[in-house]
Amino acid sequence: MSSTSQKHRDFVAEPMGEKPVMALAGIGEVLGKRLEEKGFDKAYVVLGQFLVLKKDEELFRDWLKDTCGANVKQQGDCYGCLKEWCDAFL
Amino acid sequence: MSSLRSKSAQDISDLLDEYGIKHGPVVDSTRSLYEKKLKEAMAKGKKGKPSPDKTYYREEEEEVTYEYRTPVRSDGAGDSGSYMRSRPEWSEREFEHETSYSSYLRSKPEYRGKDFVDEPAMYDTPSTYRNSYLNSTPMKSQDAPKAPKSSRLIPLWVQFAFFLAVAVFLYLVFSSMETNESLKGIE
Repeated sequence: MSSTSQKHRDFVAEPMGEKPVMALAGIGEVLGKRLEEKGFDKAYVVLGQFLVLKKDEELFRDWLKDTCGANVKQQGDCYGCLKEWCDAFL
Repeated sequence: MSSLRSKSAQDISDLLDEYGIKHGPVVDSTRSLYEKKLKEAMAKGKKGKPSPDKTYYREEEEEVTYEYRTPVRSDGAGDSGSYMRSRPEWSEREFEHETSYSSYLRSKPEYRGKDFVDEPAMYDTPSTYRNSYLNSTPMKSQDAPKAPKSSRLIPLWVQFAFFLAVAVFLYLVFSSMETNESLKGIE
């Protein structure tokens, strides 16, 4: 296990269910608010976007940057979190 | 082309394929992202657009390079041929060098990758060495490898000469130490 945060480990440990978007690694209060305003109010909606982008890292990073202004680290954390969740549960 | 908004999802998808941009389905949530990517790709000047044509062009380019090299070879050979009449001893070596160089040129198109940087630089060592002797030679076929040759700030012969000078200097210092004149004073 590389250097993942507790948030990441918590998220990846179980099905996301109705968890809010701020439960995603890399998404804090500020980014979470911006995503909610755009309609991505639950983690599974962001998951939906991730899947529609065919789980491609570059596309997802770009999308995240455009939608909520995430920086490189935040993009990476969120991508890694979703990818690992998909590997485990999808 | 600037009215990407008015294009259908299928058109956007086709455009993305044309530019070689990897993408998923063009739906509401992804559309703006793909429009943005297309705008960037268009601004770059249709770099990745003719992808099937590109391979053809590359082959063509290789051929062109190859054809360009051969006249240089024959020119060089012609030059050294006329040169041979004036100075037989030197031009023999140079002509040998030219032919070996030209045969190397023939295989050059194969090494278009990273090796291209290394090989001319390596091969240039005897050529730079000879250049110091054959100062008046035109050597115009050397123009191409001279560009990578500039990575050597100090030519090799200068390095050798400097090394010899340092060695001679150290020898002189050592030999002067052997005379032991000052030791009598210390005792």
